[in-house]
Amino acid sequence: MKQHPLCTDCENPITPLDLPIPPGLKREWAAVETRRRFLGRSGKVLGWAALAGLFSELGLRGLARGAEVDLPSTGAGNALGLPHFAPKAKRAIYLFMSGGPPQMDLFDFKPNLAAQFNKDMPDSVRGNQQLTGMTAGQAHFPVAPSHWPFGQHGQTGTWVSALLPYTARMIDDLTIIKTMNTDAINHEPAIMLMNTGNMNAGKPCLGAWLAYGLGSMNDNLPTFIVLQTKTNPKENNQPVSSRLWSSGFLSSEYAGVGLRSGADPVLYLADPAGVDRDVRREMLDTVEQINRQTLAEVGDPETNARIAQYEMAFRMQSSVPELTDLSTEPQSTWNLYGPDAKQPGTYAYNCLLARRMAERGVRFTQIYKRGWDVHGDVVGTLPTLCKETDQGTYALVTDLKRRGLLDDTLVIWAGEFGRTVYSQGGLSEENYGRDHHPRCFTTWMTGGGVRPGITYGETDDYSYNIVKDPVHVRDFNATILHCLGIDHSRFTFKFQGLDQKLTSPVPAHVVDGLLA
Amino acid sequence: MIAVDKLTVAIRNLRNRTLSAQWRFTLGLSALLLLLPFTFRLDGQSHADWLQFLGSFHPLLVHLPIGMLVLLPILEFAGANRLGLRESAAFVLYLTVATGVIALVFGILLAYGSGETGATVTRHMWGAIALLIELLVCINIRPSWISGGRQRTYPALLAVTLLTLTWTAHQGGSLVHGSDYLTRYMPSPLKQFFPSASVASDVAYVGSAYLGNIHPIFDAKCVACHGANKEKGRLRLDFYDLLMKGGKDGAVIAPRNPDQSLLLQRVTLSPNDRHFMPAEGRTPLTPDEIAALRAWILAGASPTATSIPGIRTPAVHADLPLQPVGDYSYLMNDIREMQTSEGAKLVAVSAKPSDGLILRTVDVASKFDDAQLARFERFAPFIVEAELGRTAVTDACFDTLSKFTNLRALHLEGTKVTGQALAKLSSLSQLSYLNLSGTKVTSDSLTSLKGMPNLRHIYLFDTPAEAASAVTNSTPTSTK
Repeated sequence: MKQHPLCTDCENPITPLDLPIPPGLKREWAAVETRRRFLGRSGKVLGWAALAGLFSELGLRGLARGAEVDLPSTGAGNALGLPHFAPKAKRAIYLFMSGGPPQMDLFDFKPNLAAQFNKDMPDSVRGNQQLTGMTAGQAHFPVAPSHWPFGQHGQTGTWVSALLPYTARMIDDLTIIKTMNTDAINHEPAIMLMNTGNMNAGKPCLGAWLAYGLGSMNDNLPTFIVLQTKTNPKENNQPVSSRLWSSGFLSSEYAGVGLRSGADPVLYLADPAGVDRDVRREMLDTVEQINRQTLAEVGDPETNARIAQYEMAFRMQSSVPELTDLSTEPQSTWNLYGPDAKQPGTYAYNCLLARRMAERGVRFTQIYKRGWDVHGDVVGTLPTLCKETDQGTYALVTDLKRRGLLDDTLVIWAGEFGRTVYSQGGLSEENYGRDHHPRCFTTWMTGGGVRPGITYGETDDYSYNIVKDPVHVRDFNATILHCLGIDHSRFTFKFQGLDQKLTSPVPAHVVDGLLA
Repeated sequence: MIAVDKLTVAIRNLRNRTLSAQWRFTLGLSALLLLLPFTFRLDGQSHADWLQFLGSFHPLLVHLPIGMLVLLPILEFAGANRLGLRESAAFVLYLTVATGVIALVFGILLAYGSGETGATVTRHMWGAIALLIELLVCINIRPSWISGGRQRTYPALLAVTLLTLTWTAHQGGSLVHGSDYLTRYMPSPLKQFFPSASVASDVAYVGSAYLGNIHPIFDAKCVACHGANKEKGRLRLDFYDLLMKGGKDGAVIAPRNPDQSLLLQRVTLSPNDRHFMPAEGRTPLTPDEIAALRAWILAGASPTATSIPGIRTPAVHADLPLQPVGDYSYLMNDIREMQTSEGAKLVAVSAKPSDGLILRTVDVASKFDDAQLARFERFAPFIVEAELGRTAVTDACFDTLSKFTNLRALHLEGTKVTGQALAKLSSLSQLSYLNLSGTKVTSDSLTSLKGMPNLRHIYLFDTPAEAASAVTNSTPTSTK
């Protein structure tokens, strides 16, 4: 309680409420009390009035919905009328290669570049593009062909770099997009655009939209889980922050729950000694009561989110140990995922967790792998990056496929942009660097809803510009939503006077050519 | 205009005339009004600009008589106590008729001048004529009501007049704001009393390129003026048959001959050309839309063809429509109760109820057994996907599952089923996905599934059947 300045007894301030006066008078006093309190209260009253206005509108809208279709819930999103149509994929796993993998060293095979070694890229290719500060000052833009040989794989005969021997094995299952393009040339805006459809922070990411729209498929695990891969200090690790899995203007309940990449995926999961489940339950019930009081007093919807999160945390105390207990995995799992998978925090381990989450009804899992920002020493670091991820990715897709999960799971592999064909810094026979490149990059998807065994779009001879069938980030996201049964143009949330969408107000199109 | 002059003369002299003279005037004016539509026949062609100019004052003029007509019963009612009001009521009545006739004339000028046709505009016109005739009769029978003669006739007729006004005004509102102007923003609880008169489309052509690609263009860009409400140029584009019938200039589509197709000519003119469509500054067709129209006409303008060379059909990936499961709304209360309580749940596949339900057991898998499954029998035909992975169900579950006639996907991975009773699934003609991974299913028991037409994905990972087939088949995990 705040100290009244005129009160001399600081220990026990006397208020009229302590005096032997009629209760009616006390109530009256409590109502007016001090000027400060009066002013404070009147501010709150205005807030309440505004809130009441909001709620009555919401209430009406609820009524309006009630009269439309009587539909059993499909999760939290039932009131939204989602999914709009029968989805091909119920869940998605997003393998995010943060930093920008070099497309021409992995998928976008340009055999004619070898002859161009160390020749300047023609100015006509670059046009009037503004480069990053890292290479804008370069006097020359020498073409750096890929250091690694490519081979044709699968029945489709798709060209894949020798760096990705595992990915090559499943190439017939992939839907490769060579003509992804983005608006941003630097990491933070580009990675925000990929994840939230907007370069500025504050918008919900794909996972949050899905959690909000489609809801959970199980009671015991979060709807949207983020797994970060332990960084390799030898790689150029760009930061990855939690705003990439934030819920933006949606309720915090829909934000991604990040698991730690250490031995303990969730800290302090076990109850401390002497506290059993009942005590914990009782404690949470009391906390909830207090929170409900706060909610009644302040009316902040975030309090609701907090209550829901306490409950989820309680259930995760039992569900997460079960999820991360890999002792029940058969030997065939370890053969498939490789020895890395036994170490928590590795990419392969995260892939294995992603499969286990898919089995347990997690709607959306996003795995972040940092380090793809190869400005220099491509020859030194790219093989490491590929080795760290190639087998895990292959194992995840193969595992999902053999267990019958790939039919209704969409797996996405993407970075935030591509890399330049010209070398950043010095180019030698042995080594080169590559700068950021937003005009084209390669991503792939597989699983529920997409057409396997195709390569979509074409880039020019320098893997610099798109020749045919561009796929903008917004189109990419629209297509992902389509696979999950959502019409991106109708999936909106009113905020700041705008019907906000994942695909932003700029028109976006589902890419039909990618769909099964 | 002559009518107006006559009327003013008539009003001036009305009190002094004999009853029969009044009636004669009424009949004469009524006949004139009735003749108007036949003089200015609404033929769908626009006429002289000055007609349209004058006509555009119709909305301004029309509200004066409406206001006075609404005032009339109030004056009559209040006049019971204050005679002065009743006297003024007579004046208001005359004035209503006079201004009403003027508004009607301007209205007809507007419709005739701008070439409006269609059911709504016709109804609006005839409503106004009927209204004026009723008012003229009112003028005639009011004196006897005032003098205490027939007490019921005049109030009754006034009531009829007000109803006519309401109906006519509604037609006018529909003309200006669209036929759904009243219900469009109505709160949903009210809306249910007005079943939406959704525009019927050519149902027989469902799945065709016409309905998928061509009709939506007309719907978005043309039907506002060439539809059920307005029928400019006597052309309607809201149905295939009407589109092919054409308008006042004949057919607008020449199959296989885009250049001879009037419709295509009109939308590809220079936007400044006065024949350019869509007229009146409405959104022109996009190049893509024009290309689609051209391709469709070139291919024969068929209403049924499903693919047209040159049209990027958004429906290329369209799946075979899912078998609708029927109406389960009578079970909604039970389904909803299930969702709020612990246990297995039924969730909708999509916002379309006929896509069916998914039986989801993941939260209670270890406790979900055959008996629990049997309790879902009454939902059987509506369940299209049964997620029974890692549940406690056994071979006995197939008895229940065989009743899930619309089942498309069945998850039994990690359960105790041995596959002995798998044959019971053979009656499920829709079943396309069967996951038996991690069970004790043997390859022998799978033979009973051979005849199932739609069963394309069987998963046998980590089963004896997988081990057996690995010897003979290099892709053991899924047989497609």
